[in-house]
Amino acid sequence: MTAERGPGMNLPNPFKLLWRQFRSEWRLYVRDRGAMFWTFLFPLLMLFGFGVIFRSGGQPVLTLVRVAPAQASARDKAFVKALEESHLKIVTLPAKEAEERWGKGETMAQLESAGNGYRLRLNSYLIAQGQVAAQAASQAFLVAQARLSGAPEPERIPVVVESPGHARSDSYAAFLVPGLIGLNLLSMGLFAVGMVTVAYREKGKFRRLAVTPLPKWVFLLAQILQRVTVVVLQTALLLIAAWLGFKIVNQGSYVLFSALVVFGTATFLAMGFALSSFASTVETYGAISNLAFFPMMLLSGVYFRLDSAPQWMQTAVSLLPLSPYLRMLRAVFNDGATLAGHAIGLTILGAWALLSFVLAVKRFRWV
Amino acid sequence: MSDQIVVRELRKQFPRVLAVAGVDLTVAAGEVFGLLGPNGAGKTTTLEMIEGLTPPDAGEITICGLNWRRNSQEIRARIGVQLQATSLYNKITPREALNLFGGYYPKRRGTEELLELVQLKDKANAYHVTLSGGQAQRLALALALVNDPEVVFLDEPTAGLDPQGRRSLWEVVRAMKAEGRTTMLTTHYMDEAEALCDRLAILDHGKILCSGTPAELIAGLGIPSVVELTFDAAAPDPSAFAARLGVSVEKRGDVWEIPTPDLKTLLPRVFNTIESERLEYNQVHVRRATLEDVFLQLTGRSLRE
Repeated sequence: MTAERGPGMNLPNPFKLLWRQFRSEWRLYVRDRGAMFWTFLFPLLMLFGFGVIFRSGGQPVLTLVRVAPAQASARDKAFVKALEESHLKIVTLPAKEAEERWGKGETMAQLESAGNGYRLRLNSYLIAQGQVAAQAASQAFLVAQARLSGAPEPERIPVVVESPGHARSDSYAAFLVPGLIGLNLLSMGLFAVGMVTVAYREKGKFRRLAVTPLPKWVFLLAQILQRVTVVVLQTALLLIAAWLGFKIVNQGSYVLFSALVVFGTATFLAMGFALSSFASTVETYGAISNLAFFPMMLLSGVYFRLDSAPQWMQTAVSLLPLSPYLRMLRAVFNDGATLAGHAIGLTILGAWALLSFVLAVKRFRWV
Repeated sequence: MSDQIVVRELRKQFPRVLAVAGVDLTVAAGEVFGLLGPNGAGKTTTLEMIEGLTPPDAGEITICGLNWRRNSQEIRARIGVQLQATSLYNKITPREALNLFGGYYPKRRGTEELLELVQLKDKANAYHVTLSGGQAQRLALALALVNDPEVVFLDEPTAGLDPQGRRSLWEVVRAMKAEGRTTMLTTHYMDEAEALCDRLAILDHGKILCSGTPAELIAGLGIPSVVELTFDAAAPDPSAFAARLGVSVEKRGDVWEIPTPDLKTLLPRVFNTIESERLEYNQVHVRRATLEDVFLQLTGRSLRE
């Protein structure tokens, strides 16, 4: 025990250690049911949930409630026929039931007889859909009138819904896939990296490792590699699910798409490490990370575009990293485009990546 | 025998407090060395500087003849550390933890042997979160021994253990000594320090007050015995009694303590004084002086105050 040994004893090969550490990280990750749910199942649930709800080409089915008249006139019949030819779903209800439904706020637009003619009531909470329904109803009314009077039918302007690039990615699910990939990267960085780093530091896991000869870079690299493989699996799973469930495929270059995923992974990973250096307890970090996470999740275009928001808000959001990232990802994935014309977005994302990386390296603390 | 740990002029200033104010100590090979002191005395900071966890502001540390600045990885390979609170992954099992940590070292002890040593065989495949405080503590000890270390550091190894747990930990430390390992531990239990340590240093306010074998330190007091008088209610003011007796009497809670170098002379005089003062006492105890008394004499405070 006390025998002197010369310096330079044979420490284990760091690459072998890296592999062991990586495997151990994975084994412990798989045991964490919460992490497994949020990383692998939750994005799929979102995709299938929203994908199915908004199935028809990006637009939900619009329902028009029609109050049944006491006695249907010829004009009523012609109107209903024209309405049924439109893309609206017509639900005819007796006056009492229609009123009840209106009172519950479930009706977006209601067509009722008023004096000699008709009247449309639109729900102010669902005004966007209501107006589309109102337009379709007006058009149907013109058609019905023309038919009754024997005049030539007014021509309907055909409407086609598609994305700028390709007809096959016109569904809401297709819009959602890049959004969810981006959201996965963001939550990986903020939670699986940032939160875990703060927790390890606060609880002293790093300190226990610091008294062993395990090189710190081996520990960190193993952790990073594990998170990167999670992201790769997660993305692959989403792409496969999108293809199987909705026949959605990447319209652009896979090289460009992969490069964007790698760039995003690196950026949000560095952001997690950088943010973790600003909190010494999990509670503080929770507040900081939610402050970063929720605005980005809701406003950066994961689930919907922010086109109707005030300009200042759109500008502010476009300066956050997720928003330009999703625009680029969608340009490739949905529109089959290149990144030409995304110079500003690339600059913003690059600036975030650089800032995060510098902060992460400069401010990282083990204890 | 060679000295395994040599520390010279160690200092550490924290923002609001001078935690370690110039500590010198030497631990010989095969020795069990204790740092004894109240909470906040600087025991843990001193230990963590020696373990290479906390960088010192000044001072020299040599472990196994090696220096942190030049041979940090080799020192880490040759020491074993049990931190005050060892945090592991929640869902790692003791067997996996020992295998994982063992893999970090050039030399390692068998996982099964270590599980046996700390009596964790039947919990070998249980998740860390499900272990009791004592079991987690024993796993931390096994992890400190995973690399067959020459020098072992144990920070408050029996904190939070029940009496039986403390005893079995003492056995492990004695076994480590029998195997020739050098051990440095901190504790604020004086009985533990007396039972385990070959030599110890008493630390307060970041300074070593005295060091030596437990017997030396107690003998150094010059008062090998203490007479204790306990009372039913609060102890009365002892000054009149002390004046009559002609020695100093310390009042601590509901007890009077009368330290003495010469028990045989004092004891009859104590009883005489009790009778003449008509003192309503409850019990009389005579005990030999302990490290607690050493600390009390040096600082005027009790260890656990």
